[in-house]
Amino acid sequence: MKGSGMKFHVKVWGGLLLFLLSCLSLASAQDKFRLKPGARGKLCLGCHSEFEEKLRKSSVHSPVKGGECSECHNPHASSHGKLLAADGRKVCVICHESIIPDKAVSNHSVVKEGRCNRCHDPHASDVPFNLVKAGKGLCLDCHQDLAKGMERAKFKHSPVERDCLPCHDPHGSSEAKALLKRDLASLCSSCHPMDQPDFLKKHLNYPVGKTDCSSCHEVHGSNREGLLQENLHGPVSNRMCGTCHEASSSSTPFKTKRLGYELCRSCHGNMLRDTFSRSRIHWPLLDREGCLSCHRPHASSQKGLLKDEKKSLCATCHADTVLTQAKLAQREKQEREEARGKVIKGALTHLPIQEGKCDSCHASHGSDGMFLLKGSSVIELCGTCHDWSKHTTHPMGPKVVDPRNRNRSLDCLSCHRAHGTGNRYLILLPTVTELCVQCHKQYKR
Amino acid sequence: MGISLIPIVIYLLLPSFTGAAERVTFRHLQSLYQDDRGKGLREPEGLFCRDRNLLIVADTGNDRLVEYRLQDGSFRSQQERKTSELARPIGVQLHSKGDLYALDGRKRRIVRLGPEGEFRGYLEPEGIPSPSLFVPRSFRLDAQDRFFILDHFSRRVLILSPEGKYQRQLLCPQGGGFFSDLAVSAQGTIFLLDSLKGTIYFAPKGEKEFALFAGPLKEHLSFAVGLTTDPRGILYVVDKHGGGVVLIAQDGTFLGRQLSLGWNEGLLYYPTQICINENGEAFIADQGNHRVQRFKLTP
Repeated sequence: MKGSGMKFHVKVWGGLLLFLLSCLSLASAQDKFRLKPGARGKLCLGCHSEFEEKLRKSSVHSPVKGGECSECHNPHASSHGKLLAADGRKVCVICHESIIPDKAVSNHSVVKEGRCNRCHDPHASDVPFNLVKAGKGLCLDCHQDLAKGMERAKFKHSPVERDCLPCHDPHGSSEAKALLKRDLASLCSSCHPMDQPDFLKKHLNYPVGKTDCSSCHEVHGSNREGLLQENLHGPVSNRMCGTCHEASSSSTPFKTKRLGYELCRSCHGNMLRDTFSRSRIHWPLLDREGCLSCHRPHASSQKGLLKDEKKSLCATCHADTVLTQAKLAQREKQEREEARGKVIKGALTHLPIQEGKCDSCHASHGSDGMFLLKGSSVIELCGTCHDWSKHTTHPMGPKVVDPRNRNRSLDCLSCHRAHGTGNRYLILLPTVTELCVQCHKQYKR
Repeated sequence: MGISLIPIVIYLLLPSFTGAAERVTFRHLQSLYQDDRGKGLREPEGLFCRDRNLLIVADTGNDRLVEYRLQDGSFRSQQERKTSELARPIGVQLHSKGDLYALDGRKRRIVRLGPEGEFRGYLEPEGIPSPSLFVPRSFRLDAQDRFFILDHFSRRVLILSPEGKYQRQLLCPQGGGFFSDLAVSAQGTIFLLDSLKGTIYFAPKGEKEFALFAGPLKEHLSFAVGLTTDPRGILYVVDKHGGGVVLIAQDGTFLGRQLSLGWNEGLLYYPTQICINENGEAFIADQGNHRVQRFKLTP
């Protein structure tokens, strides 16, 4: 008994000693820098008095509220603006590391780029979560196309009119595309139960509850009743889903009756006959996706049921051309600014590409001309815009042989490259002289 | 995506000739513009070469094949092979027994021609899965006359026996863009080109799926559509929109870019395919210039 009592005393005193040593060690660490009380932030307010007003706002960032300015700022010196403790685009993730889900299906580009202050005030605001603006107005400041569409829409979607957050996660979503909190069908069904007779009747008894509602509906507002998209495919507007799909009672009701372009042939036979009679065909038409490589099957905000506006659509495959044009446009702008009003002759860019009108020159389905150009004559094609080429021009045409290549006749593309070269007048060589002396060798120096 | 690392490891164990490849350059030897009757080539898109002295050109715009043979140091046309059953040939391969197989670019089917150019039928693959979903985009014959066909519709590479019977298929990698061409090396490795991503995939002999070999190479390739390999295993990628050829080493590293865009001899204007013969000569279907160009590869 005596021995066990002794052991107890040793444990108690030993524990007490350890505690005292820990306290001493902590105090010594705090004293190491001889910090004044409040040195981690509260002292800052002595000079930065404007923050007192900020601190009175309803939503204050917790480190600010706790007087911990040094959580984000270095009080002495920093390699980053505003004495930030890290790069302005990375400082927030020091604490908010998991703001974008690990396996995000979609993420908000501003979050990914670390531009948190586009939406949040890092110190305080009168809007919850330190947002710089309340409600959907914050989102629509950037998403202006959407804002314009919503404003023009005759039929509004009430949740959208209120706020974006009922459907979207502003940072990232691990569940669905477009920052949606869940897949669209399950989101929609929370307000529009899809097993109701009226709902089923409207959808011709097709079990659309597991599909993408935006395939037909414009969820942000539309000029069509039922929030249907601006441009509808004939069978959709005529409620003839069975034209393309198996019957709604089938075990595979959404399966299409045929694959690829074969499905479209029954209605668009003339167009496809014309396309297949051409010497060249646009290869995407021939794969499993077929027409759906570029078109949407049900509805679209774009004419011709295109998947996207033309420039972006073509760029999904021909990014090289569109990117080159974008770079050239930037250079054009810069050089014209530097010229300060002085005339610069010759363009670096080609207007139809800038305007996203690839189909001004190209036949997107098929063509007899090279590069899927419209018509068989490059000269005629270019002449539709550059009409002087028909009367005042260098000799061109099928009978004028290119001196550099006996198998080529001279046309506009003998000197120019319509997608841009980096040289003015879209010529392949840096100067006009260098280009001309390729054939007119007698003038070569 | 299911891309296995095993084929990469196996392939890296093969002997490398990277060092020598780094010095490969193209020296222009000849430009072929016409046949022996003076008829000019028109948008030639495909070609085939074998041994030291045979070149067959798919003269796409003229709906024919033209055979060239080496005579006194120059390739001269010998024979035109034209039949109403073949339109806009975009690829051509020679069977060891003398028959020619050409891919019809208008009807997208493989046409078989006899040595004199006579029509001998279409290649009808026997026993392939989903035969109605078959649209050939490109094809090759290996040394054993087996067919390797890139099926655009079903995004797969079909391997057929010399008689056209189905042996097996490899699905193109998921997430790929536009698979435009394939090549088969002497060791039986299949290479696959994705034009949109500037990526090359490969499947060593016997492998069941493709693995990433090189890329994305978008900084070096605008829109590549042609692919071949030389006896040393170096890959030559024809950049159609960029007017050049990119070389890839046996380990997938970028070796450099050769040739450039233009109309003069030695320059390329929307080239499509390349073929390398046993003499170390490269032939390029210079489609936009309506000619075939012959280069000496100089290490």
